[in-house]
Amino acid sequence: MKSLNLCLGIESTAHTFGIGVVTFEGDVLSSINATYFPEEGGLHPVMVRESHLNAFFDTISKALIRAKVSINDINLIAFSQSPGMGPVLKIGAWVARLLNQILNIPIVGVNHCVAHIEIGRLLCQIEDPLVLYISGGNTIVSAFESERYQIFGETLDLAIGNMIDSFARDAGLQHPGGPKIEKLALMSNNYIPLPYVVKGMDLSFSGLYTAAKYLIQSTDYGNKYNLNDVAYSLQETAFGMLTEVTERALAHTEKKEVLLTGGVAANKRLQSMIEYISKEHDARFEVVPLKFAGDNGAMIGWAGILRYKAEGGHTISETIIKPKERMDQITIPWRS
Amino acid sequence: MISDIKKEKIIRKGAEASLYYGHWFEKEVIFKYRIPKKYRIEELDKRIRTERTLNEARALIKVKNYGINVPPVFEIDSSNSTIIMKYIKGNKLKDVLSELNNDQKIKYFNKIGKIIGTLHKNGHIHGDITTSNIIITPDENIFLIDFGLHEYSDTIEDKSVDLHLLKRVLLSSHGKDYEYCFNSFLKGYKSKIRSPKYEEIIKNVNAIETRGRYVKSDQRL
Repeated sequence: MKSLNLCLGIESTAHTFGIGVVTFEGDVLSSINATYFPEEGGLHPVMVRESHLNAFFDTISKALIRAKVSINDINLIAFSQSPGMGPVLKIGAWVARLLNQILNIPIVGVNHCVAHIEIGRLLCQIEDPLVLYISGGNTIVSAFESERYQIFGETLDLAIGNMIDSFARDAGLQHPGGPKIEKLALMSNNYIPLPYVVKGMDLSFSGLYTAAKYLIQSTDYGNKYNLNDVAYSLQETAFGMLTEVTERALAHTEKKEVLLTGGVAANKRLQSMIEYISKEHDARFEVVPLKFAGDNGAMIGWAGILRYKAEGGHTISETIIKPKERMDQITIPWRS
Repeated sequence: MISDIKKEKIIRKGAEASLYYGHWFEKEVIFKYRIPKKYRIEELDKRIRTERTLNEARALIKVKNYGINVPPVFEIDSSNSTIIMKYIKGNKLKDVLSELNNDQKIKYFNKIGKIIGTLHKNGHIHGDITTSNIIITPDENIFLIDFGLHEYSDTIEDKSVDLHLLKRVLLSSHGKDYEYCFNSFLKGYKSKIRSPKYEEIIKNVNAIETRGRYVKSDQRL
């Protein structure tokens, strides 16, 4: 039997098709992304699927070259099995099964959200954090508790990244709008009151989105306030909500570490707010390095290695995609 | 008169508010002070603290009319975001749950279900039903506290979010007790909320869990 030491991770849940090559010891040898950018509008699943189909072979080749390994050196295939856009998840699952059968090596399906947390724990050398995972598709406050990554708080409607991107699009900015909104917000300190909706440890962003949209459609727009002001108010309100529920969860779980991850973790204003409450609760604060905070194949590879080591690979019939699987539905044997 | 009102000791420092024990004209009271949050800009922070203070005080006064046990409000100081209310002797359900036997748990959750059902029937949403916000007194009465996120609403959505929050807390913090406690809660709740409204609410609780992800509208429950 070959000694197992290299895993190829395939990320395909949304706009990123990512390939990562990771060793069983946790060294990331390469991580290459092919990202779909719509010319206009948001992410249409079918368009994303086509983009990934065109990009998969090239992305795999680049990742192998960067890692200086051959496809025959790979001992394990990991892929994002859940949650995500159905047609997009299928591409990852399809490529994974293809490699699994051609190379005759084990295959393991990975929950995308768990992978975000695990790559963060690995790279930030953090043991047992409270996690704020914020991206285009997810807004989750989670921590490990009785064998699972439990969800303490989450959005009740829109994900934070989706909300900001949608607003940016309405304001005429191109996808992805998050970084553009962050820049505009820096140029204002004129706060316009917007709906602030926290329900227990859960959040709702749909009313905030609509109110911000009305602001830029109003006749006052351009007279009494400008786009910078709306961007600033939107960020302050949304991030205030996120920080409040994170603090509630921190007080509730009494964790001593806080981990910020997901694409929206790149926002400096949000980082400073979460860092502030972490200090208040004597918790260590870490942000996942930018390259690995957003979607990537390396995180899938690493989470795949953890699951494979704990309970072996999946059979082909177990590799069916689960677009709606919740992170708290699955056990985490490597931490129990 | 100020000497008749005194904060004596801090008894709890929560994420949102600090609770002080003290006396108000010879009565034992709690001073609930909503702390300024420096991570928020001042204008927004002030608005939220004032809103929630007034909101909580109004709700506490209103829901008493339906026979629900809540601490009576003695004084409101909205500019300092403080409510002075009666001190309720007892323990948080969160802290005593593990010491209760199964029959007691079932009995309490059934009662809690009836309490929340009564609130919902009358158009009140608690907004933060957790085991930390339920007090069990020494004579086994149930008090509901922390109405800062209270809302007036008669929609299926708001009621199901309220239940979703409790479900979430039970699952994440009291996982092994979740199933029979929540079932017992629902039995009590159902005795106050009639069909088909009850079924609609439960259906929506399940639907909420599939949101916020890449789920197409036609795939939603």
